[in-house]
Amino acid sequence: MKKIIAMAALALTVSFASTSCKKQVSDVDLQTSATTIVTANPSATVEVKDGVAHLSGTFADQAAKDQMIASLKAIPGIKDVMDMSTMAPSAPAVAINTVDPANMQKVTDALKDFPSAKAEVINGELTLTGTVSASQARKIKQSVDALKVGKVNYNYTVK
Amino acid sequence: MSTLQDKYAGVISAAQGTGISDLKITEQDGILYIAGNATDSAAKDAVWNALGTIDPNYSASDINVDVQVAGLAAGATLTVNTDSTNLNIRQEASTNADIVGKAAKGETVTLVEQTSSEWWKVKTADGEEGYAYARYLQA
Repeated sequence: MKKIIAMAALALTVSFASTSCKKQVSDVDLQTSATTIVTANPSATVEVKDGVAHLSGTFADQAAKDQMIASLKAIPGIKDVMDMSTMAPSAPAVAINTVDPANMQKVTDALKDFPSAKAEVINGELTLTGTVSASQARKIKQSVDALKVGKVNYNYTVK
Repeated sequence: MSTLQDKYAGVISAAQGTGISDLKITEQDGILYIAGNATDSAAKDAVWNALGTIDPNYSASDINVDVQVAGLAAGATLTVNTDSTNLNIRQEASTNADIVGKAAKGETVTLVEQTSSEWWKVKTADGEEGYAYARYLQA
């Protein structure tokens, strides 16, 4: 009889324990949910401790970081997010100009008679924009190809 | 034949035609380079006309055609081939240089030297001597 009572008490304890488990999600489960979210950024990691997500690693910008923190906070059971992550150094705003200035002058010479066409260096590649006729495009390509400046993007509208 | 050479087979065969010497066909970084020297403007135009049948807008980035009229002797007669305006004759080989003379469309000038592929030194009938943009000179 004593044994049965003991068993019942144990069962009761277990049931209580499992009830409390439902209310408070375990760190293991939280870790799984949090990791799933953080894998969106390969350079970030997350560690859940006592229901608090500790976010570390690097983010490209503040917006990406804010978004991830919000997603982590949205996980049911996460009490708070500790932000220990850093921001990646921002990329240089201006692309490096790899077209020789002497060549740019030659391109300017080539386009002088076609004011509707414009030359600029985008991502190190000479890019022509604007609007030209097919015969103008032919003359421009004849001149620009001769300069041998690598890849040239003839992005103008040909009418 | 590579994919690029297949695509521009017409241009290659035009470049292999008469009037083009020192023909070099190479490929680098996804661009087909066709370079050579033309004996006159007609030979150069033939290559560009072939490109026009493949790329009517002359806007392809995967082909570079550098066929220049070369080897012209000093004293050769050149015809000014502008759209309508006068051709500027400049002190130096740059559009920033001072204009020392002008030649009308259809006028003939005498070649002094083919200074570069872009600029040729010429002399007008009036005796004005300077650099003109080679694109507007027909040999």
